[in-house]
Amino acid sequence: MSVRYIPVQWNRNKWFYDGVLLAAAILYIALFLYVAPPLADHARPVDAPIWRARAFGTCAYLMLTVILLIGPLARLDSRFLPLLYNRRHFGVLTFFIAIGHALFVLDWYFAFSRTPMLEALLSSNTAFGHVVGFPFEALGILALLVMAVMAFTSHDFWLSFLGPKLWKRLHLLVYAGYLAATGHLAFGAWLDQATVGLTLLLFGGAGAVAVLHVLAAVKERRMTSTASPDDDWVPVCPPMEIPDKRGRIVVLSPDERVAVFRNGDTLAAVANACAHQNGPLGEGKIVGGCITCPWHGFGYRMEDGRSPPPFTEMIPTYRLRLTDGMLFIHGKANPPGTYQEPVRLMEGGMT
Amino acid sequence: MTSAQPFFVGWAAKIPKPLRAFLAAVCVIMTVGFAGAAVLVGATQADPDGGRFRFDIGPQNLEGTVIGGAYPALWVTKGTEAIPAGKVILLNGNGKTGVQDRVQPLAGKAVAVRGILMERGSLRMLQLGNGKQGLAAIEGDAAAIPQAEPLGRWRLSGEICDGRCAAGAMRPGTGLAHKACANLCIAGGQPPVFVSAAPVEGESFFLMTGPAGEALSPEILRHTAEPVTLDGALTRIGNLTVLAVDATGLRRR
Repeated sequence: MSVRYIPVQWNRNKWFYDGVLLAAAILYIALFLYVAPPLADHARPVDAPIWRARAFGTCAYLMLTVILLIGPLARLDSRFLPLLYNRRHFGVLTFFIAIGHALFVLDWYFAFSRTPMLEALLSSNTAFGHVVGFPFEALGILALLVMAVMAFTSHDFWLSFLGPKLWKRLHLLVYAGYLAATGHLAFGAWLDQATVGLTLLLFGGAGAVAVLHVLAAVKERRMTSTASPDDDWVPVCPPMEIPDKRGRIVVLSPDERVAVFRNGDTLAAVANACAHQNGPLGEGKIVGGCITCPWHGFGYRMEDGRSPPPFTEMIPTYRLRLTDGMLFIHGKANPPGTYQEPVRLMEGGMT
Repeated sequence: MTSAQPFFVGWAAKIPKPLRAFLAAVCVIMTVGFAGAAVLVGATQADPDGGRFRFDIGPQNLEGTVIGGAYPALWVTKGTEAIPAGKVILLNGNGKTGVQDRVQPLAGKAVAVRGILMERGSLRMLQLGNGKQGLAAIEGDAAAIPQAEPLGRWRLSGEICDGRCAAGAMRPGTGLAHKACANLCIAGGQPPVFVSAAPVEGESFFLMTGPAGEALSPEILRHTAEPVTLDGALTRIGNLTVLAVDATGLRRR
């Protein structure tokens, strides 16, 4: 373990994860291209390049939707967490499929003209004041740019180079990208032909993303503990509500989360962010006496937030106290690696 | 989260046993969901209701008189089975480029043309071949073109399209998703066509020009592919109906 950049190796799970993604995407495109046309039963077929553009475009939108569903699903049910930990691969594949869509569109709608392709793309529709007829291509370009930035910076190297905080903020751009992609689909394809399939994809997809995010936020809000202005101690929960060898995430502020762990009859609190890549320690488990990060397995001792020797990572610790059967945490963090006496439960769950 | 719940570490080579069935189910649901979505989205796409290139009947060799103007046409004097004499047919070029540069110097003159017919219902055009084989002046007097017959002013609802794509160069060649392409085609000189929501004087497709027969104004072209209502003067030249409009009467529906 080190704070230096350490490439995370591939393993069987990751190959399997990527294999399923690839299979789902290939299946989508193959069925769209070869099974859907005879079922559509058009008198004369849609042009093949347009059909291909639609196959790739709708596939990329569906994938982006699923990517954004994984986050709240994992917050609502921790069994989805394994899908979250490899989500970057999902994003990169989505970007390549979106590129395919863009190339098919460019090489058809914007080809065969004296105006160069990219110039034609940017200049041929400028009716920005119109709702019907809005230049939805611009929204598609924006979505593609966001996906490009995220795909290119998805590698661990960029996470280490930019730092977890900046990297995370950069990758929150996915919401702007999704909004742009939704507008692109709505103002382009859907306003043009509000078919059952497109309507379900657009409103079902975006609606599910919105609803699940609200549900996850409500759940998180319920678990949020805030300090009163005249007291630095923040209520957490009765100690036995924390499962043995597991943690509970406490949100002190939008930028500060704490992981409170119980290991048998001792309780301790550390910063929720792993020193490696800001992984959520509170979703981890105590393994071999150490709080173990679910992302890459970095471990920290409960009492001082230090990785066991010879490793050198340190995270902040927090003071805990138990009053009238309720666990409280002090809102001010100790410097990383500071020893903090754990709270010990007496028989029956009380000190 | 309970202590009994399996703990998955991202880098671990093995998935905890209790999670395997759940994740396998997720994989199956996702794959089946993608398959279902592909068929649903793909198979419910709207019929492009499109025109087509008539490659099946081969190139058409015609003779006639060039009708000049912003968007040139041919008054056919010697035709084919598909395009008989006595018809007016719009002329267009390859890709998104009109044929004004080639055709305009021959306005009012007798010419021989060769090209591929494109048609969508009563909307018919000829894509000129390249070089002199596609268009050449011929000996002899040019036949007089039919007198323009004014049909009065009308208020029409429908869509402004580029005639070439609407006639079959693309399927679909109309609609909002096609707006940028339509703008490029019309800006390149291809004839704009108004597709009326309801027939007027038995016609649903109208060649569009400015009020004095000039090219359409950019203000009108901002509304291509959108559902609009506009006021204009209709004129019939043979079988071709021309709609002369300015932007003042144009409203978005």
